[in-house]
Amino acid sequence: MTSANTPRLTMKGIGKSFGGVPVLSNVDFTVAPGEVVALLGSNGAGKSTLMKILTGLYTRDGGTIAIDGREVTFASPAEAVAVGVRLLPQEISIMPDMTVAENIFVGDLPMKRSLGFLTVDDGAMRRRSRELLDQLGFGSIDPDTPMKRLAVAEQRIVEIARALAGQARILIMDEPTAALTEQEAHLIFKIIRRLKEQQVSVVYISHYLSEVFEISDQIVVLRDGKNAGTFATAATRQSEVLSAMLGNTVDDLYAVGGGVAPGADVLGVEKLSIPGKLSEIDFSIRAGEILGIFGLVGSGVEVLGRALYGALGPLKDGNVKLAGKTYRPFSPRAGKLAGIGFVAAERKKEGIIADLTVRENMALTFQERYERGLFVSEAAETANANNWISALGIRTRGPEQKIRTLSGGNQQKVCIARWLVDGVQLLILEEPTRGVDVGARKEIYGKLRELADRGFAVLVLSSDVEEVAGLSDRTLVLDRGRVVGRFARGASPAELMAATSDDPAFSAA
Amino acid sequence: MAAVTTVNSANRRRMTSLLGKPWSGVAVLLVFYIALIIVFSVLSPFFLSVRNMLSIGQNIAFVGLMAAAGTPLIIAGGLDLSVAAIAGLTGVAISILQGAGLDIWVAVALSLVIAAGVGIVNGLFTTRLRLNPLIVTLGMMSIVSGLSLVLTGGLTRPMMFPTFNWVGQGRVGGIPIPLVIMAVTFVALWVVLTRTRFGRFVYASGGNAEAARLIGIPVDRTIIVLYVISALSGAVAGIILCAMLGAAAPTSAGQYLLTVIAAIILGGTSLNGGRGSVWGTLLAILILGTLNNGLTLLNVSSFWQDVTRGVVLMLAVSLDQIRTRALGD
Repeated sequence: MTSANTPRLTMKGIGKSFGGVPVLSNVDFTVAPGEVVALLGSNGAGKSTLMKILTGLYTRDGGTIAIDGREVTFASPAEAVAVGVRLLPQEISIMPDMTVAENIFVGDLPMKRSLGFLTVDDGAMRRRSRELLDQLGFGSIDPDTPMKRLAVAEQRIVEIARALAGQARILIMDEPTAALTEQEAHLIFKIIRRLKEQQVSVVYISHYLSEVFEISDQIVVLRDGKNAGTFATAATRQSEVLSAMLGNTVDDLYAVGGGVAPGADVLGVEKLSIPGKLSEIDFSIRAGEILGIFGLVGSGVEVLGRALYGALGPLKDGNVKLAGKTYRPFSPRAGKLAGIGFVAAERKKEGIIADLTVRENMALTFQERYERGLFVSEAAETANANNWISALGIRTRGPEQKIRTLSGGNQQKVCIARWLVDGVQLLILEEPTRGVDVGARKEIYGKLRELADRGFAVLVLSSDVEEVAGLSDRTLVLDRGRVVGRFARGASPAELMAATSDDPAFSAA
Repeated sequence: MAAVTTVNSANRRRMTSLLGKPWSGVAVLLVFYIALIIVFSVLSPFFLSVRNMLSIGQNIAFVGLMAAAGTPLIIAGGLDLSVAAIAGLTGVAISILQGAGLDIWVAVALSLVIAAGVGIVNGLFTTRLRLNPLIVTLGMMSIVSGLSLVLTGGLTRPMMFPTFNWVGQGRVGGIPIPLVIMAVTFVALWVVLTRTRFGRFVYASGGNAEAARLIGIPVDRTIIVLYVISALSGAVAGIILCAMLGAAAPTSAGQYLLTVIAAIILGGTSLNGGRGSVWGTLLAILILGTLNNGLTLLNVSSFWQDVTRGVVLMLAVSLDQIRTRALGD
């Protein structure tokens, strides 16, 4: 029997390592029935690992999990679902061509017997869908509507209804408002309040501190895989949470500028706009300088770099000057020939050619420079590869190793080396250390600084606030497609994060 | 119990790591080819003779040609099911153009232009409209083979011109001309794939088209060129077949499509793109040709030969899948 004060969820002393590297050590996490607990931490803090353990995707190395006081161990996600643990992933996952009702019940369709055959009980499905949507306060959504006709926010709501249909007792919401407008986000908050009334426990993961403070009862902060603080939201200031998340010390991960004075403007951007994504972006970057652009998911940080490079096709609105000349982003090829190098965020999908060797991957960008007559000169390619393997400290058995078998950090160095040729003046890097371990991060930061000192203009776009704060000579902060802050070197992660929040009380703190 | 499992899993690991080696595909084929030759030599006294070997060569040449050109296309992530139909249309086109009063060689040249046009259409549909190459070239196969029938009324047209027929029946230094053409094609494509910028673009386009585009590689242009090369190989195969038979038969080539695709896949080229070599395809063509020839010498019904080819293909594809998994880890 569960008494009134038995927590809904108790995770105690959770530990997990991957390949000997601990990612969680001795983490505690507790949620009461009907409570909203926000789980915060910067990239790599261990939030998603903890949640994957809770949802049965990973098995824990140590510690205990209890739900309503009963100890549980999940061997698979299905077992977690069976006791009412539900995850709403950041990416909305729906079947667009099925109806709202079918989407809600797809995991457990109500059946009936007709003419001796088991068939789907459409009537019951519709009726129960309507009940569930009513319960959430959205009786206005018709269960027979095809899912693809709904707005994104409504699709979210249907996803929540689906979780409720599965008797969710613990609902984990991962950045539920990432794709939503502010108004739509408030619809989600409304629903969360209803869920609380029904004693559903919610784990709320978000980067938006203002949201967290609006909706949560408790805040649990992780840092480097350990508990870094638990706060009662009502009695806490945002700055306390931030310092728990980020720490007050900037570690020596970042190389200090070599004292080289920045040179002439390499890139000047005026009033760059992409409808619905970016609006009136202005900035410039000089040779020898690292300019950081920080923004959270959906801020425009994931499109600005590729837009300038030309990966989004011809741009209509805005003036761009590259080395004093008018430059119109048009295509990757045009960007490359104009002197821009681009390293994409998704290394596996958009960066490496997995089956080719390190040597081939490096030479591919400017293949024409490694030719003797009609033919590719492998000797020239090898010389180039060996040069960068030693200059960038790429750990590989040699230029002939398939890039697929390198670690993330070393793959990233190869992707950077591709652009280090005469004629390239501007390097645009998206999320340069995503999925890269700490040791390799430090090396990459050091190399980027070296490249800047050699005269490259380096533009880093990242959603990792510590990275941008530590690495950049100057920083721009993006939010909802606009530049909302400009900072000189030395701005702290907290200041950058604060700029994304339009909560005035917070900005003052 | 536990000990047995450990040994098994160790064996399996050794097996997969062996299969994961880049050369394992070609090595397996080579071993298989040699084994095949030994078996047939023992079973049939006629098998291992220069005469028979050249006859195998003559018979596989035009199929090998199409398989050679199809290899880089599949490496780049494309697929051409219309190639054999193009071979059929080419014979028909030459015969009709020649019948209309053109010089035979002008007719040949024009038929190559037509084939190139078909290749461009295949390429544009698959790249610019991002359509699945399976669908596009299946449609094109139907259009082209249908047109061949329309143009001839389904009849075979005789093609007896000594200089023209020499292309299919003649020999240079004792080697059948079709075999020479095939060999030259293989060598040329090998050089292009391994030694030129274009070759690198082929592997990059098939290995990761998105990444290749993002570093400014002309992925679409590369693939269009490969469709044209494939279509041209179909045309040359059609010319050879027509010259060999001394007749343009609208349906003569279609039956070889399966062998072309089978040879490419059997040769270790991944249908997912990014991996493969023309040497694998060459060995596969030799194996399929030898299998056909040997079984015929042993008086096995040609119906059984289809079954055998299917079994070999499925074995090869399974092996490739296991290799891919071994590489994936």
